[in-house]
Amino acid sequence: MDKTTSLTIAVPKGRLQKAVINLLEKAGVDCSELRDPSRRLIIPVPGTEWRFLLAKPADVPTYVEYGAADLGVVGKDILLESRKDVAELLDLGFGSCRLIVAVLESSGIEDIRDLDFNSRVATKFPKITTDFFTRQGIQAEVVHLNGSVELGPIVGLADAIVDITETGTTLVENGLVPIADIARVTSRLIANRVSYKVKNHTIAGLVRRLREVLEEGLD
Amino acid sequence: MAYTMMQTPRGTEDFLPRDAERKRWVEETLRGLFWRWGYREIITPTMEFYDAVRAGDTTGLADNLYRFFEREGDILALRPDMTTPIARVVATRLQDSAKPLRLCYHANVFRYAEPQAGRRREFYQSGVELVGSGSHLADAEVIALTVESLKAVGLQGFRVDIGHVDYYDGILESSGLPPEERRSLRLALLKKDYVALEELTAACSLSRDDRELLLELPGLRGGREILAKAMERAANPISQGAIANLTAIYDALDAYGLTDWIQVDLGMIKDIEYYTGMVLEAYTADMGFTIGTGGRYDHLIQQFGYQCPATGFALGIERIMLALSRQHGWTAAPNVRVLCMGLAQQPQLAWDTAEQLRAKGFPVELDVSGSGEDEAVAYAAAQGFHWVVDPLTHHRARVWTQGGGWREQELSELTAALEGENGSG
Repeated sequence: MDKTTSLTIAVPKGRLQKAVINLLEKAGVDCSELRDPSRRLIIPVPGTEWRFLLAKPADVPTYVEYGAADLGVVGKDILLESRKDVAELLDLGFGSCRLIVAVLESSGIEDIRDLDFNSRVATKFPKITTDFFTRQGIQAEVVHLNGSVELGPIVGLADAIVDITETGTTLVENGLVPIADIARVTSRLIANRVSYKVKNHTIAGLVRRLREVLEEGLD
Repeated sequence: MAYTMMQTPRGTEDFLPRDAERKRWVEETLRGLFWRWGYREIITPTMEFYDAVRAGDTTGLADNLYRFFEREGDILALRPDMTTPIARVVATRLQDSAKPLRLCYHANVFRYAEPQAGRRREFYQSGVELVGSGSHLADAEVIALTVESLKAVGLQGFRVDIGHVDYYDGILESSGLPPEERRSLRLALLKKDYVALEELTAACSLSRDDRELLLELPGLRGGREILAKAMERAANPISQGAIANLTAIYDALDAYGLTDWIQVDLGMIKDIEYYTGMVLEAYTADMGFTIGTGGRYDHLIQQFGYQCPATGFALGIERIMLALSRQHGWTAAPNVRVLCMGLAQQPQLAWDTAEQLRAKGFPVELDVSGSGEDEAVAYAAAQGFHWVVDPLTHHRARVWTQGGGWREQELSELTAALEGENGSG
């Protein structure tokens, strides 16, 4: 296998998988095998030295940082939380959502500054949350949860949550309102720092094609 | 983390004999090479005054220092690299020496970082500093020695990227942007966050040319053609000076026949602040992280009160070892090892035989436990010995080899056979 033209791309399983396939196919990458992976985790790109690796979204930055994958697609939320040393090449636009601070509407709180001294904040993103509150100069205790973060305020575990929201529906259904925006989140194409050097030609070529597709519009 | 007997502190490790021998072999290979190039070793204390180690860099290294109070109340730090301690020595004890000075080191350094992806908290570096010359030829020598070092340890498929801090600094300096925005742009380039770079360049009041050039930086990689292109694109004298300097360096490397190993990378930004000119990074396709780093630092020594230009590089020893393991590159096997029996029965004969073999350069263990033939062979096999010698006279011995079983032969035949095995190893 030629080390400069082969390519391993980490694709996140789940929510973003379809959009990634859609984008790559428009850019001329054969994803026929990826559409039907059955139980395989390593999926070849027919007629090339490329392959896909199907990974849990939160693991994509890890595969890329170690160079087990040259490229990966991952949400900016996961990328920020992982703090991995990777190159961020392209904003792919899809998977768009907001990373927000929300509280129970019934609390009457409208600004994060009105949160009580040492409020508890439940989140799947403890590092981002700690950073954000530190930067704002607000003391908060960060409570790490692995899912269903909305539960926190309802059952009295936390006073606020930090989470991603696409449409806000889940928030409303749970009586929550956003009081601060932390970041706009979209999918990013990331690269291993050495792969970006060694395979620059191959990677730059793919990035150029992806850019063209994105400029034309995905749909 | 609580102490258990199996652990050492996070990010540190024990080197068991096999790895310790490999580490020494890498360092010895480099030490010999540096010596032949005229670099003389320097050893400095593991701990320094905190103010000394942060003299040249207040962000990249200083954020990750191990720091503590001395009983007298002084703040000390474990050295995060060797370049700063050497700068201190040059500015003080070696100020009056004739320049240029060629210094090298093999040392452990300490950085507080998450131990992952090749990062450790205590790790080993071998490197050189060429002090007292601002010439492009000094930079070319340092780059050439980086290439020769990686060749000498037998690494395959490596490259050394060279760039220049003044190229992007020139663009930012001449852009008229406020310092805060320049810092953000630099940080985006450093982190290779090209999405942020795009957003920032769109938001800043940059000229169209500067914006395009900044966005193009990550792609300015390649050979001599990139230098020509970069010169054409740069409108400011600082960036032009950088390319002129890098071109002169490249020409020298071309004359030395080394450009096959060299890539120009103008998008390379370093996290250490003290670099002022050429910068370099070495890597192989087999590993996701760099194995060496370096560059020119003309103002660092001045922080210690003596203006003196300098340039150098450092190689990560564990990373070289890891890359060699990946490439199955441990061709230079350690000497064949010999176990000599009979010490309890005929001490003088066993002793003399062992000494004869040692004099020829073979590592020989004497059997102090007085074991019989079967035990000796079992021990030898388990320990990975190549030969077991049971001396009969001062000239003749029974000899066991892995796979060959026992036979009788002259000691002179034995040493010849041993030398043959070492030579082919």
